[in-house]
Amino acid sequence: MNVARSMAALLATFLLAASSALAGEAGTALKADALKAEPFRDAKTVGSLTAGDTVEILKKQGGWFQVKSAKGSGWVRMLSIRRGEARKGSGDAEGVLGLASGRAGTGRVVATTGIRGLGEEDLKAAKYNELELKKAESFGATQAEARKFAAEGKLVARKVEYLAAPDAAKGER
Amino acid sequence: MGSTVKNALLSSMLLLCVGGAARAADPWQDLLKSLEQKGQKETEPGRPQSSPGGGLDLGIVRALTGFSQEEEVAIGRQVAGNILGAAPLVKDAKLQQYVNRVGRWIASQSERPDLDWHFGVIESNDLNAFAAPGGYIFVTEGLYRSLQSESELAGVLAHEVGHVIKKHHLKILQQSRLVDMGGKVLAKRVGENEHIKNLIGSGAEIFARSLDKNAEFEADRVAVILAARAGYDPFGLPTVLQDIGHVAKDDNRVSLLFKTHPHPDDRLAQLGDAIGDRLDGLKGQTLENRFYRIRP
Repeated sequence: MNVARSMAALLATFLLAASSALAGEAGTALKADALKAEPFRDAKTVGSLTAGDTVEILKKQGGWFQVKSAKGSGWVRMLSIRRGEARKGSGDAEGVLGLASGRAGTGRVVATTGIRGLGEEDLKAAKYNELELKKAESFGATQAEARKFAAEGKLVARKVEYLAAPDAAKGER
Repeated sequence: MGSTVKNALLSSMLLLCVGGAARAADPWQDLLKSLEQKGQKETEPGRPQSSPGGGLDLGIVRALTGFSQEEEVAIGRQVAGNILGAAPLVKDAKLQQYVNRVGRWIASQSERPDLDWHFGVIESNDLNAFAAPGGYIFVTEGLYRSLQSESELAGVLAHEVGHVIKKHHLKILQQSRLVDMGGKVLAKRVGENEHIKNLIGSGAEIFARSLDKNAEFEADRVAVILAARAGYDPFGLPTVLQDIGHVAKDDNRVSLLFKTHPHPDDRLAQLGDAIGDRLDGLKGQTLENRFYRIRP
């Protein structure tokens, strides 16, 4: 009972941390880009950022961040912003996650969980495990199951063309 | 015959090297595509199985296209079995079923929807994900736990699906195959295969090597599009990359990832240039609420 309650409290802490993970986080502009009044291209331009400008990230929506900066507030493409600076030592979501999964902050193994790292040496020394592979294969989903699952999540398939490599796009178009 | 084949192979390898992954019109890709279509036609019922008039004979076709799908799956099974030997599945059947559904839906948007795709979460604290040929894809528990929504998971799986459909690892293995044309890979679906073991090296070593960085950028570009096609918010993968980008470089959990991949900042910058305004207005589901959370 008590355990259940403290688990619930831990979960609540975790969820809280997760949903507010972005609020007030620092970021840096990777390149010059416009600040928009709304998170879309045709929205009114309310300012501009130059590379290296620091911003405070307030919110994320699709491919956009709502930011506050010395040059004003607005929405900017998330790929124009590098997230984060000195997050070390702060009680951020990563830290809470670490605790919740029984990891130390360094990410190194906590013996009791049985979870470990997977480095180069581990990969080289790996021995084939047919039983585990069969198990992995047993969880496979059919295309029909995937379609049903998608429909349950209101995921609608749509046509979108692949992206060209940026260099090719510049050179050949 | 032997020298003809070798010459054909060598010139095609040169094409591959010169063409590179960064060029949009990759002659190697075109060649692969036309040969693949040819291969499909030949398995149509009622069609004679003999070699098509004026074309290459099937042995050469197979050598040029790399591995048959059967061989590809056999190689993938060996690699997947090896990696599971190092890190078994997280013991949570609901979790494993969940990632298989998300993954299969993503893969269904690719040009290989019929491949027997398998996805899994493996017991490791690292932040990483792996794709073996033939459609075997694994995400570490550490990376899974850092995700916040189904669209982020979809983005990660889609990057790995990208490696499989672009056959990035197979192309590396093909170089070994060229060195040893005599040792034909005998595809066998059950158990370990000595020929394949010789081909792939020890354990799951292939994942300790880096792919060409253009292969990583290509998989990123494929990933956002597959996620978009599947109806997800296409920015799941970029969000994950931003998260990983500020994990400290000396953090053990990312040492292999950072060693074998370009830095997340470079990947984000490349993606940003490739996307431009192409995905503006494309909304999609993030499905935070459906995202399956592993017990703390």
